[in-house]
Amino acid sequence: MARQTFQQATVAAIAEEMRRDPDVFIMGEDIGKFGGPLHSCLGLWEEFGAEGRVIDTPISEGTFVGAGVGAAMQGKRPIVDLMFLEFLGLVVHQFGLDGGAMHYYSDGKVKVPMVVRAKYGVGPFHGHAYDFHSWLLNVPGVKVVAPSNPADAKGLMKAAIRDDNPVFFLEHMGLYHAGREEVGDGDGVIPLGQADIKRAGNDVTVVATALMVKRALAAAERLRNDGIDVEVLDLRSLVPMDEQAVLTSVRRTGRLVVACEAIKRGGSANEVVSLVAEEAFADLRAPIARVAPPSVPVPYHRELEKLYLPDHDDIADAVRRVMAA
Amino acid sequence: MPRDNQTLLDLYRLMALTRALDGAIAEIDGHWHGLEGEEAVVAGAYHGLRPGDVVAPHYRGSLTAACGRGADLRKLLAGLLGKATSYNRGRYRSDVCGPPEFNLIGLYSGALGPPLAYATGAALAIKLDGRDDVALAVFGDGTSSRGDCHEAMNMASALCLPVVFVCQNNQIAISTPASDGVAPRSVADRAVGYGMPGHEIDGNDVLAVHDTVQMAIARARRGDGPSLIDAVTYRVAGHFVSDTVEDRPPEEIERWRARDPIALFRRYLVEQGVIDDGDLGEIDQAVSAEVAAAMAQAKADPDPGPDVLGLDRVFA
Repeated sequence: MARQTFQQATVAAIAEEMRRDPDVFIMGEDIGKFGGPLHSCLGLWEEFGAEGRVIDTPISEGTFVGAGVGAAMQGKRPIVDLMFLEFLGLVVHQFGLDGGAMHYYSDGKVKVPMVVRAKYGVGPFHGHAYDFHSWLLNVPGVKVVAPSNPADAKGLMKAAIRDDNPVFFLEHMGLYHAGREEVGDGDGVIPLGQADIKRAGNDVTVVATALMVKRALAAAERLRNDGIDVEVLDLRSLVPMDEQAVLTSVRRTGRLVVACEAIKRGGSANEVVSLVAEEAFADLRAPIARVAPPSVPVPYHRELEKLYLPDHDDIADAVRRVMAA
Repeated sequence: MPRDNQTLLDLYRLMALTRALDGAIAEIDGHWHGLEGEEAVVAGAYHGLRPGDVVAPHYRGSLTAACGRGADLRKLLAGLLGKATSYNRGRYRSDVCGPPEFNLIGLYSGALGPPLAYATGAALAIKLDGRDDVALAVFGDGTSSRGDCHEAMNMASALCLPVVFVCQNNQIAISTPASDGVAPRSVADRAVGYGMPGHEIDGNDVLAVHDTVQMAIARARRGDGPSLIDAVTYRVAGHFVSDTVEDRPPEEIERWRARDPIALFRRYLVEQGVIDDGDLGEIDQAVSAEVAAAMAQAKADPDPGPDVLGLDRVFA
């Protein structure tokens, strides 16, 4: 066991997979000697650079993600560091529309085993905060992963690298260097599509990912003093989504709150809401509540940012509303 | 460049096959993107590749690339019709996307440009694996205006990747003439900006195409990096078969029809004493019969039912 940050655990997963499988390589902007923005690739150049497996690319996001697709079609297992999620619009065609369709269109003959990783989220860095991951839920054939802590980040990154499909891996900057946690030394692969109950409770289910899990847990602690027993369900991957875990929890608690960092309109959390409305409506004892930012670009000033992004109080308020309904 | 009679006849056969396919498909598919006039580029580029080479063809000529690599004509035509006997059992169209088992990268959506990146990535994989295969990326003058084209060429050169870029320059993008869409005089001039050799060639001369592409392939195999070839030809055909909008000057089309690449090559073969007119006619007939038989079989082939297609295999 080692105590690692989210960033350290993620890089450790990549390094371990690169040691295990010579077909794994990584490319992106400034990931070589520079070590990647926010140390996203720290140490990889020193260990694998001489083998040509850590590749600095020109500022050509569409093409280096496309090159990842092309290399994956040839049997390599590329990891592409997109740097920031706000560049998603530049690569949706290559990664999603084409990369996600190849397996189906080729009747299973083409595999695209690649990972695109991207940093995002409101955090200490005051920029590149946009959370556009929900766009990808409407693209068939791609997986979307959003860990909430270092141990999950490591296990999910390993699963993403070993997966034979295009996987988008989200790295929240508000979690990236936010403290160390115990991370196992072993393989510790966490299968994609397996949610995790981060806190068991009986009164209401809060479904979240990434930073919102942390805030939901903080809200749950506060609500405990009010005698409300909150279950916090961390989806960990949006696609595939662990529908059974959501339904099992909601059927037991009878109440659902979803918390999401993407704006409420069209946000991925709505998929959870739809699922429960379709499959567990009769089990609900109260209307569903959504906690998510308004349809506004991520604002700059800290006070505006605070207003924009749901915090533990917003989540706690939503839980109280649902309990009172 | 030394070449044997067999190579010459193979090139002719591939051109004749392309022409025969063009005619046969045009009869049944109003949306077929014909390539009358461009046969020299596709035959010259797609002949003489190794199985390990990766090809991302222009959609106009994708079937020729597949045939040139040994794909089965009946299965390809079944793919055009979405039949269960096609390479992907009807999940996707074969006219723009060749079977991947022949190391073909097709269009997996309607946007042009990204396949240049996929070819570049294939070249990266080739380099990482230490193979001396190459990637061949063929695109039109229209696609040459895409940022994807610039990015792929820049990246291929910056990383010294074994890619051969061939512009199948038919001088028109649907309706926009290259003079309105391509700023430099020649697409090949752009090569200077990427630090790679650029060659502007007569795209109606199959031997010029074949020799230049093979030269660029040899360079790439040696590890000397990418090249750009601008093969200037002309789309005598419309954008697609039922394309009724045609405002190009009829005399311009006639001028290019008079430079028909197949007629030019026939004359060359006869003049060089490689083959006589009678034997060329036999090749034409054989190719037409092959296409007709494959088409008849494909038409008679079963449609895929939901039991065959299903909605599975989205994820590997």
